[in-house]
Amino acid sequence: MVAIDGLAKSFRDRKRGEVRAVDGVSFECRPGEIFGLLGPNGAGKTTLTRMLATILQPTAGSAQVAGYDIRREPEEVRRHLGYLTGSAALYERLTAREVVTYFAELHGLSPKRAANRIEAVFRTLDIEPFADRRCDRLSTGQRQRVSIARAIVHEPPVLLFDEPTSGLDVLSARGVVRFIRQCRDEGRTVIFSTHIMSEVEALCDRIAVIYQGKIAAIGTVDELREQTGERAFENVFLRLIGEEL
Amino acid sequence: MGKSLVRVVLRKELRETFRDRRTVFSVIISPLLFTPLLLSMIGMLVTRQARAEQHEVLSVGLVGGEQAPSLQRILSNSRGLRFEAVSAADAQTRVRTHDLRAALQVPRNADALLADHRRVPLKVLVDPGNEASQRTAQRIHAFFEERSKRLVAQRLSKKGLSPELVRPFDVRDTRISGGGSVAGLMLAMFLPYVLVLSSILGGVYAANDLVAGEKERGTLEALLVSPASRRDLVMGKFLTVAIVSLVSSLLSVVGLVLPFWLQPPGMSWLARTELTLTPLALAAMLLVQFPIAILGAGLLLSVSTYARNQKEAQSYLSPVMLIVTVVAMLSLILKAEAPWPLALAPILNAALALKQALNGSLDPTFALLAVAASAAYASLAMAFATRLFQQESVLLKA
Repeated sequence: MVAIDGLAKSFRDRKRGEVRAVDGVSFECRPGEIFGLLGPNGAGKTTLTRMLATILQPTAGSAQVAGYDIRREPEEVRRHLGYLTGSAALYERLTAREVVTYFAELHGLSPKRAANRIEAVFRTLDIEPFADRRCDRLSTGQRQRVSIARAIVHEPPVLLFDEPTSGLDVLSARGVVRFIRQCRDEGRTVIFSTHIMSEVEALCDRIAVIYQGKIAAIGTVDELREQTGERAFENVFLRLIGEEL
Repeated sequence: MGKSLVRVVLRKELRETFRDRRTVFSVIISPLLFTPLLLSMIGMLVTRQARAEQHEVLSVGLVGGEQAPSLQRILSNSRGLRFEAVSAADAQTRVRTHDLRAALQVPRNADALLADHRRVPLKVLVDPGNEASQRTAQRIHAFFEERSKRLVAQRLSKKGLSPELVRPFDVRDTRISGGGSVAGLMLAMFLPYVLVLSSILGGVYAANDLVAGEKERGTLEALLVSPASRRDLVMGKFLTVAIVSLVSSLLSVVGLVLPFWLQPPGMSWLARTELTLTPLALAAMLLVQFPIAILGAGLLLSVSTYARNQKEAQSYLSPVMLIVTVVAMLSLILKAEAPWPLALAPILNAALALKQALNGSLDPTFALLAVAASAAYASLAMAFATRLFQQESVLLKA
């Protein structure tokens, strides 16, 4: 469960002065739900997910992740969080198994539990055939599977995906989408941020459209269609952020 | 709160670092292979040159020798000098054009002076800007020095007097047993330099890789989202750099000392006398290395944390490296017995304390002050790196 209340972040930029990257965002996301954050580049999606992941300090507002406050208990939040971004990379000089083991250890898994979890995750994601190959010898699709394994090895109840399919081919992207759906079916809370309409349409139970740091609309795909009177989701989106068609 | 994850981070970083070919090369292969090789090559060149010089026959111009056949007879006995009659005007130009190494100018009445037992004024034309000319002049001096002694002895014995009459003292050096050696002296000079340089520069690749490299490759974000605290992460990385620096400086010392013991070809010039490192010198070496390695690790990690990528880290590092190199070079010039304020000079203090220990002239006050000051600087550098690592604006700078 993720609950966000008036979360805001502003930066001081030398050229632009005070920049409000996220400006008073509130929503709730329940277990067994995929919640989509849809917005163009620079809308504030990454800043928002980074605040939830406790690597950026909010300037105002609060949020709870899996029942822990992101300001007061950041380490507990991180313990219950799986985090995957499209720009994430792996340690090139370590093998897939070493990378995932490292993160299992960072999450405090006992050696026995880590071994069991790694075996299970590697089987689900079909990593076993290349598990002991160094990461710099893996293909992009294989790397993305290892990244997923790294993000979920500790069985987090909450998952944050920030544009996880960027740079992937159709097949690999479909694998990621299938995996996100599986996380929801296991009862996890999933927040999925993207700028790709089709992914949102196919995957998300509810959607928040973000534009210029603010939430422009929240609802299911059908609700948003009704609200705008548009059929094609691209048009729905453009209407919601106030663009002329 | 979970237990400290420093060990987990350290283990992974060490494993990854020692799989980096750049680190392995600069920390292990280069000091163990290239330092001895380089020393060996220098040694061979120096030995060969010295031998060649010994057998070399130097051509010297002789001005005004025609009128002094007795003096010429004396000159014809000289070894390694070949005299060639030239005019006074030619002598100048031919020495200047390196055609002749030097020239000897003999007075017209040289033979008469000799016969009268009076002093013969001899002029050596030498080019001070030409090393070979200088060397030739020295050889001429030595030749006449030796001839003078012989002539004096002959003249004295003709009059029934002992040569000891004009040489009342006979001074000779005798080496004490168990003392230092030339090799030891060389080591005392170079070791501090090599040690200081390698313990700071050895960790460069590792440090740049550990934070700037993680930012550049996009692995840092996932690490920051793990439950490990920033403190655990920075400590793990910091210890990794410090360990790499220590290994680097230790192996540099081994690489520098090893040739003295193994005595490969070309090293005989240095290793003619036995080299012994006293336990005190060894202890001082270790004591000095730790704070420098830690100071270096803090410095390098701060730069690496502040930089956006490895390239940027490299350019921030170039002034740092320049300063470190200059300071290390100062240790070559400065005397070991330094005034105490120098014990507060970072890096230089360690090099000087080490120099003292190797010389056998360790000043305990200086050494303690140096270690304390270094430890203080090291903890400052460490605290700075940790502070920097806590700042989101620095870590997520893109």
